[in-house]
Amino acid sequence: MKNTRHLSFSVNGELKEFLVAPDEKLLDLLRREGLTGTKHGCGTGSCGSCTVIMDGKTIYSCILYAFQAEGRAIETIEGVGDFDNPHPLQTALVEEGAVQCGFCIPGIVLSAKALLAEIPKPTDAELKVYMDGNLCRCTGYEKIEVALHKVIAAGSCGGAK
Amino acid sequence: MKLNEFIIPEDLKSAQSALEKLGEKGFAVAGGTSLHFLSVVEKTAVDISHLGLSGIQKQGGAYLIGATTSLGDLMKFKDQGWVLDQVALHTSTQQIRNISTLGGNIVRVFPWNDFPVALLALDATMYIEGVAEKAYPADDYFEGQPIRLFKPGQLLTRVEVPALKTGQGFGYHKEVRLHAGFSLMTAAAVITVKSGRIDGIRVAASAGIALPSRLPLVEAALGGQPAAAASLQQAVANGTATLAWKGKEGMSDEYAAHLGRVVLMDVLSAALLQAQGE
Repeated sequence: MKNTRHLSFSVNGELKEFLVAPDEKLLDLLRREGLTGTKHGCGTGSCGSCTVIMDGKTIYSCILYAFQAEGRAIETIEGVGDFDNPHPLQTALVEEGAVQCGFCIPGIVLSAKALLAEIPKPTDAELKVYMDGNLCRCTGYEKIEVALHKVIAAGSCGGAK
Repeated sequence: MKLNEFIIPEDLKSAQSALEKLGEKGFAVAGGTSLHFLSVVEKTAVDISHLGLSGIQKQGGAYLIGATTSLGDLMKFKDQGWVLDQVALHTSTQQIRNISTLGGNIVRVFPWNDFPVALLALDATMYIEGVAEKAYPADDYFEGQPIRLFKPGQLLTRVEVPALKTGQGFGYHKEVRLHAGFSLMTAAAVITVKSGRIDGIRVAASAGIALPSRLPLVEAALGGQPAAAASLQQAVANGTATLAWKGKEGMSDEYAAHLGRVVLMDVLSAALLQAQGE
């Protein structure tokens, strides 16, 4: 790769060094590092399946150059929970039948997690604003909304890291 | 945009020096979300997102906004007299708002950009820093493509936006086909009411016309008129007759003209109501 450079940033709490090409997107870097829970959907910053959290805020990793992550803290779905130890948001989404094909779910979980870390008891309007960058083509959103309201009501995710 | 190299400078001076040396081959990047619309010419990116140019401060009767302040931060900031949260809220999606910057929205202006229209109505001032700092009132800054004002090594550092005062109102509307879609018609207005009359008016539009512009005929028709809905209707009807509205995405030019007048009435009505304290 031409003009590659070593950069470092933290991924799921672990500081790592990466060899980065100038035009490499963060999504591609994460996936070649084995973090394939971050999905490649539209590739144009529209669908939300590539959502990750950078310094506490959601971003589309498909349109962020990897070098822009230098010195920052990135959180991917792998850092949130897994099959044996799911996050309350993941549990609620499964229990409410909000997961069909599942492709959008990592992005949905990360957007909801970032929202609840910032606003533990969001209004419906705030929920819609913070979730407006994640498309789901299976569920029609209703069950996702029900699942998120369940977590909000339980307070099981308020201020979650 | 094809990037063949990137530089992450440690301070503003280093960034300016790098951009000056690179000339046409250099490119400042903060959020980076607009790069996908630009040319395929190979360039070197200079990352200016770590230079301390982010944040919002109130100073006297105005807000000073760092050029790399994200649209998400503009949306979350709340204060009496602050209205840019309304503009940011209707810009794209949360992920885009979190990374896109105010500077990125106004250095290169596309017809669908949201902030130039609002900054024209609000009479904002843009500050470009080279060897010395130079201030550009919105009317001068947006008179053409703003990038014309930048020499290699110069950067937009901050934007000054007057806070709304008592007796003033702000209206903003962006018409889209789909949520988070590009604007079909954007308009913004600031109205000042004194003794029941319109004492000051700035109104701007974009998307339906070529580039963000003030609408001087609408402003002239409203100045000094009674602060009433009838004044707005007459000013919009008479002041837009000669405007070259441009339809897109299936809209005819005629429909764009109709939509433009409806959107203008919406923003003027909202501004007038707020100015009257309602």
